Amino acid sequence: MTAQIAIVGAGPSGCYLAQALLKAQPDLQVDVIDKLPVPYGLVRYGVAPDHQGTKGVIRQFARLFERQGARFIGNLAVNEQISLDDLRAAYDAVVLAAGLPGDRSLGIPGEDLAGVHASGQLTQAINEHPEAADLPRLGKHPVIMGNGNVAIDLLRLLAKTPEELEGSDAGPGVSAWLAASGIESLQIIGRSQAGQAKFDPVMVKELGKLAGVTIRVEGAGDSDDPEAAKKLAALAVIDGHGTGRRLVTFRFGLTPVALEGRDRVETAVFRTADGGEERISCTAFLTAIGFRAEGALERDALVAGAEDAEGGKLDDGLYATGWFRRGPRGTIPENRADAQALAKTILAEIPAEGSGKPGRAILEGLPDLVSYEGWQRIDAAETAAAPEGRCRVKISTRARMLALSKASEELR
Amino acid sequence: MNITLLYGTETGNAEMLAEDIQSELESGHEVDCQNLEDFDPGDFDRDAFYLLVCSTYGDGELPASAQPFAEAMAAAAPDLSGVHFAIFGLGDSEYDETFNQGSGKLAELLVSYGATQLGERIVHDASGDDLAEDLAFPWAEAAVAIAAEKLSEAA
Repeated sequence: MTAQIAIVGAGPSGCYLAQALLKAQPDLQVDVIDKLPVPYGLVRYGVAPDHQGTKGVIRQFARLFERQGARFIGNLAVNEQISLDDLRAAYDAVVLAAGLPGDRSLGIPGEDLAGVHASGQLTQAINEHPEAADLPRLGKHPVIMGNGNVAIDLLRLLAKTPEELEGSDAGPGVSAWLAASGIESLQIIGRSQAGQAKFDPVMVKELGKLAGVTIRVEGAGDSDDPEAAKKLAALAVIDGHGTGRRLVTFRFGLTPVALEGRDRVETAVFRTADGGEERISCTAFLTAIGFRAEGALERDALVAGAEDAEGGKLDDGLYATGWFRRGPRGTIPENRADAQALAKTILAEIPAEGSGKPGRAILEGLPDLVSYEGWQRIDAAETAAAPEGRCRVKISTRARMLALSKASEELR
Repeated sequence: MNITLLYGTETGNAEMLAEDIQSELESGHEVDCQNLEDFDPGDFDRDAFYLLVCSTYGDGELPASAQPFAEAMAAAAPDLSGVHFAIFGLGDSEYDETFNQGSGKLAELLVSYGATQLGERIVHDASGDDLAEDLAFPWAEAAVAIAAEKLSEAA
């Protein structure tokens, strides 16, 4: 017998954890469960379609299932099709690595107006997530609220010309939407001063490659703090870049207090750093201000009652890693480090030979589960259908994913 | 020949590639594979050949697992004359200004303490069409062939 471990969430955090566990103890039985029929979470649905290099970690994760013996169980929502308690009863350890799929809200009047969109929802639409809303109409003058890497990702995508999407996995719908956007100006606005912005300098510098824009940075200021200075230096590099017709403006120190408009958002009202008011006209207001827990896993209660939230232990045999553990901060490699630390904890706490629990046997009989082979059929269909200039075309509905995953060899 | 593969990694891709190179070379050689963060600069051996695989992170910096090694080098200031190495870089041309600077910095570091680089530094672009191993396996074979000649001259 060997210990049985269920990891809930097949994004980078869950995959890195499975990798670390199996590297340390190759005979473990590790099942990676996802509510979607497809694996890889934010690498597939969060990382921008034009950053295919970053998606290269998928090759490591594929090896996890193809050689290290981890099993993928897709299309299984914990606490919907099976309770977390039942899962815990069946496995020696259950690890929640489900991320934080909800968008934080601004909490200001006017937030419900048409034309106001949260980045998580919008990013899902851009990445053709099966549960995404329709791509919204943005008009000529969208404003992006937020100063993290997600805000920069959105800015870069919205600023790109169709030629600049070459080699990406942006689908036909998204590509047509971007090509027809008619955006004339894009403002990106941070609450804090430029030196305290959360973006990585390298993400900002990349904007200096954009072909169709003119970039202006207003009021970045200066700083003696080395981290702040790196950000300011990156902004200085792109300030004045280009002569394209789309005007990109960076602004700082503006706190949104209200959104106004009749049928849809027309004006964003901000408090300035010196206590004044500034009104900015916009045709859409996109918020990229962070993520929060959402869905059936009741993360906030679990973390609040945790035995050792910092170390990733929620309760006996129940653990958390990645964003689910520490909140919506940190990049792919930080989640790798997190997973490696948690793997050590888990292996020290559970008996290597397991306790004879049934493991995945309790999942038998649940309908429409997707195996790794099922995902490979979906993957093959996506890459085979890639049009000229794209590396894949994503299947965007759950029904079609399930149909493909079940296709027999001869039907392929 | 005794070959030591050393990798500097941030997301794990360089580690995976180093392990693949190890499997590829193992039929003909003794090959040890280590994370740079676990390697003591005092352990460099003139009779061995070092193959380095290193990614780039952040603003063209060394990846996380190579940073403790760089610090240990600075502290130990070893004399690496007579030590031979070849280096392979992993990068992403989406970030063209800092593309593959991590492997470049690592090579410079070793050379600055007297080590000798054999062959060209080959770099893989994650945004390109090649698979890293398609570049890295021939690089490793070629580097090992050059090293065999060098090390036998020295002996």
